[in-house]
Amino acid sequence: MKVTTFVHVEPQAAFDVFTQETDLWWGRGPKFRFGGAKRGVLHFEAGPGGRLFEEYDGGAVYEVGKILVWEPGARLVFEWRIPNFAPGECTEVEVTFEAGDGGTRVVLEHRGWKALRKDHPARHGLDDVAYSRMLGMWWSELLSSMRERTG
Amino acid sequence: MQAATQLDRTFAALADPTRRGVIELLRKRPRRAGELAAALEMSAQAMSRHLRVLRRTGLVEEDGLDDDARVRVYRLRAEPFAGLRDWIEEVEAFWTDQLSAFKAHAERPRKGKHP
Repeated sequence: MKVTTFVHVEPQAAFDVFTQETDLWWGRGPKFRFGGAKRGVLHFEAGPGGRLFEEYDGGAVYEVGKILVWEPGARLVFEWRIPNFAPGECTEVEVTFEAGDGGTRVVLEHRGWKALRKDHPARHGLDDVAYSRMLGMWWSELLSSMRERTG
Repeated sequence: MQAATQLDRTFAALADPTRRGVIELLRKRPRRAGELAAALEMSAQAMSRHLRVLRRTGLVEEDGLDDDARVRVYRLRAEPFAGLRDWIEEVEAFWTDQLSAFKAHAERPRKGKHP
């Protein structure tokens, strides 16, 4: 699934705010944070291999995932694993920053439900191509048709 | 938890290409089991196994045709898809909220910086 916004700052500034001031803009409360009632601070560690994590008083950490692509001012890809995921399950978030008229178009895509582990019951032995095709095209088409139908 | 289990079942039932074919056909209109078997070129017995899985998941139901209750047809049920839709919309709403908070923060006036 994909969501977009437009911000009236340059791509580099948008990227910097996204990754360096994360804790300031990221939603608060259990809906957006990972530590339940614990108050944590959210960080991106710069560079590929860095982490997105939340740090709590006393130094405990919840790691959401590793940074896979780090292109300042252009593109960011990181793993996304929330506490209710089964062990080994992981998805991926890609954020692109594209210069537009007077600002930056920011596109965030949360994908990789296809990255569910190979033995996940949902996969039923489908190979990667078949599975991602199913999750991608077929899925969204079906959903939009069901949306029309079910209101 | 209930919802997650239903979702797992929906995913599992739909992971099979024949069963996706059945859903595709039923999207257009209700059909008899025999029609589905013929359309997907399989035996009545094999089709009946697939239909059983889909019925158990609640993705399809079997009942009489509107104008002739003696003709048994399969039709799509909306509820399991609604569960899937709710789940996807939840993730979408999460990121929509996040991006609008990000936008508000990124665009607020900053000291010592020109716009």
